[in-house]
Amino acid sequence: MAAADFLLARDSLQAHEPDHRLTRMRRRGYQRVRYILSLIDLQFFWAKRWFFISMLAGFIFAHLPLPHGISHDGQLVLSMMLMATIIFVTEPIPLPTVPLLIIVGQVVLLGVSPTKVAQSLMTDSVLFILGSLMLAVAIVKQKLDRRIAWAIVRVTGTNAYWVSFGITAVCGMIAAFIGEHTVAAMMLPVGMRLIQLTSPDPKKIHNLAAVILFSISYGCSIAGIATPSGGARNAIMINYWYEFFFNPVDPSTRRFLMDYMGWALYAFPMFLLRLPIVTALLFFTFRPETKDMSRAIARLRTQVMVEGPLKVSDYVSIAIFGMTIIGWVFWSEQLGLGTIALMGVSAFLVSGLVRWEDINTGVNWGVVLLYAAAISLGVEMQATGAAEWVAQSFIAALKPIGAGSGIGLHAAISVLTFTVSNTMTAGAAVAVLGPVVLKTATVTHEDPIVIGFIAAISSSFGYLTAAAQPAFTIIYASGYLRGSDFLKIGWRMMLVSFILLMLISTFYWPLITR
Amino acid sequence: MGLFKRSPLSERQDRAVEKTYAQLRTQRRSRFRVLACIDGTEEAFNTVRFAARLAPGNDCDIIILFVRPVDQGLWSGGLQVRLARQNMLDAGFELPGVRDLKRALDILREEGVPTGDWPTTTAHEDAWGDPLGDNKVEYKSIEGKSVVLKLKTAPDPASGILDQYELGPYNLMILGEPSAWRGEVHSWFDSGVVQRVAMLAPCSVLVTRASLDKTGFLICTDGTARSMQAVRRSAVLAHMTGQPITLFCAADKEKNLKWADANVKAARTLLTAIDIRVRKTLTAVGRPYEEIAKAGEDFQVIVVTDEGRTRLQRALRGSTATEVVRRAKTSVLDVR
Repeated sequence: MAAADFLLARDSLQAHEPDHRLTRMRRRGYQRVRYILSLIDLQFFWAKRWFFISMLAGFIFAHLPLPHGISHDGQLVLSMMLMATIIFVTEPIPLPTVPLLIIVGQVVLLGVSPTKVAQSLMTDSVLFILGSLMLAVAIVKQKLDRRIAWAIVRVTGTNAYWVSFGITAVCGMIAAFIGEHTVAAMMLPVGMRLIQLTSPDPKKIHNLAAVILFSISYGCSIAGIATPSGGARNAIMINYWYEFFFNPVDPSTRRFLMDYMGWALYAFPMFLLRLPIVTALLFFTFRPETKDMSRAIARLRTQVMVEGPLKVSDYVSIAIFGMTIIGWVFWSEQLGLGTIALMGVSAFLVSGLVRWEDINTGVNWGVVLLYAAAISLGVEMQATGAAEWVAQSFIAALKPIGAGSGIGLHAAISVLTFTVSNTMTAGAAVAVLGPVVLKTATVTHEDPIVIGFIAAISSSFGYLTAAAQPAFTIIYASGYLRGSDFLKIGWRMMLVSFILLMLISTFYWPLITR
Repeated sequence: MGLFKRSPLSERQDRAVEKTYAQLRTQRRSRFRVLACIDGTEEAFNTVRFAARLAPGNDCDIIILFVRPVDQGLWSGGLQVRLARQNMLDAGFELPGVRDLKRALDILREEGVPTGDWPTTTAHEDAWGDPLGDNKVEYKSIEGKSVVLKLKTAPDPASGILDQYELGPYNLMILGEPSAWRGEVHSWFDSGVVQRVAMLAPCSVLVTRASLDKTGFLICTDGTARSMQAVRRSAVLAHMTGQPITLFCAADKEKNLKWADANVKAARTLLTAIDIRVRKTLTAVGRPYEEIAKAGEDFQVIVVTDEGRTRLQRALRGSTATEVVRRAKTSVLDVR
């Protein structure tokens, strides 16, 4: 054969059939077989190792000699909590499996009646989380992002610093009411639009992109604690106060029935104080390549003009959203936060502004189940005395370092909570730690409201990784940011937030405690 | 009718489907198909440049693959990540993978594959319950050369790439530089994408490194019939792409140097017989994988022959080919 006659397909590298036995199978069938096989090799056990480790740890803990001051049921609850925590942190199995296992564990291990377990799953807080998520999808679907962006830059002008501040402020103001993940999903296209209109090559303006995108995520994150509807963690803490401390026949416990305005009075200043700091920190950390965004803003204006004036449907959705917030502020005590959220969702569905199919695919229903079961287990921790035992042990460990009460205790609880929330979602962190820190407050004669707020607010300090916060996960999905960017700004933000929280808990909250 | 009926079609229809499928397979096997995998990093685009250079003719097809993991996780706080993605798509933004595939297309154009005026077809298929699923755009020239951009959804990148092979088959799979390469036993439990694909791929695999500015193929042989086959096939590839060929054999001991000399001479004779010119022959004494890696530093590609060992055999006896892929400072073609 002469060199000129070569055919690459025939004479060079060969395309082998995958396997003789498999040629008889249909291709899709083969793919499925491959997928199943990939789960049955050693890699499966390695990938799921933390699940087996958690089971083993729970089994060992449940069979240790009974520690002093705790019942057998309490020990079982703690072993379940230990297993849930390991799985929350390492995520070896789909997280909605954890609540299913918690429900099974409560019935099988603790002997609680199935009806009682089922009843404990659905509280107003869970309805609130459910309603907020559905409301979030309805609002994202309205596509008001360009108009919001235009409204921001009309006020801030074309300087990148003020645009960043405007984005943070607006994201924060919205996220304070409807949940950070909603705002992040809604505003992400705004940020990306501004970046792309500034330069078609995002690599040339990586730092500016980081400033804009982090303005969105930090705006959402710092505001998520401002009102009860800002995040699931807030609803969980409100539920714990109600379950653990409210007694209908004792008027002095009425303060534990936390309403919308009451929460905002405590937590909103934390958002307002951090607002200017975020922009300054972002500029200090990333130093954008350009500060002039006039080109991007001119193009944005053209796009908004092409869209034309607001439509009737836009006005209706703004009205429904506004009414829901008014409902939360004025009637949450009588109707419950969850019922008002569901009213808002119903209004969106009735007016045809969102389809049920969109809500069905947009909401991750596993999260609702997750928080419901975590709250249920938290209540069980309280009932069996497990929370008190952990609290006593926690205080005993803190006393030698002078953190057994006062600001030392506040700092210890804050550090504990944000350390945990950097490894799991904030809602799960509050659900796991809530009973323990509230019991700690009782034992040390601290105010459970103050301690609860410290835990709830600190749970939003998980700034170090892209997976630590819902808003971070969403902006990371844009593909513009690197994992290291989160760490670069995150530790600074965490430090500033911690110092501010300590100052507020020492100087501001004592003034407003009822 | 059997107990386990495979499809709702009649037997005649089934036979027709099988026949069409077999024809499609045969048609594909008559072409030189190269699968270049990218992951968005700058280094991974080397795979595209290599694909353009190693598959230059009209009888060659280039498939660029980006595997996107299935959206999952509750870290988004209850709002599905896919909703945010959908929002981005609705707003006219591209997914990261799409952006990278477009960049790959630009690189192909830079390398002289003018897809600009070729007719295109697009296809979408749901995969793993993810609504964005698998998407592909195919550019086909009138001469029959095909360039496919594929955005695939899979549980993980390695299984996505290996799944894609089943849709081929492919003559050559091109992967980027491995970020980590575990030992043989360790790799059973934990291995990177490149290592996993390189171990399990049924076809030849080219693991690329920054060697595009170098020239020449260093083709290694150990004198076995399997190795001589690989020498012949890889030499054809080098010849067709205009790369000079150097033959190499490493002897483990000084006394085996003659054996190494005989091997490279035999390989040279084999290539001369089919009219392929060999620029140089080299031999060395030492551990074969170390000597090959050292000798190949200045070449664009080192060619090694895969021993065809199973994972267990590799763990017990080792594999020169795998070790070269792991240690080399230049691109390595593992021929199967």
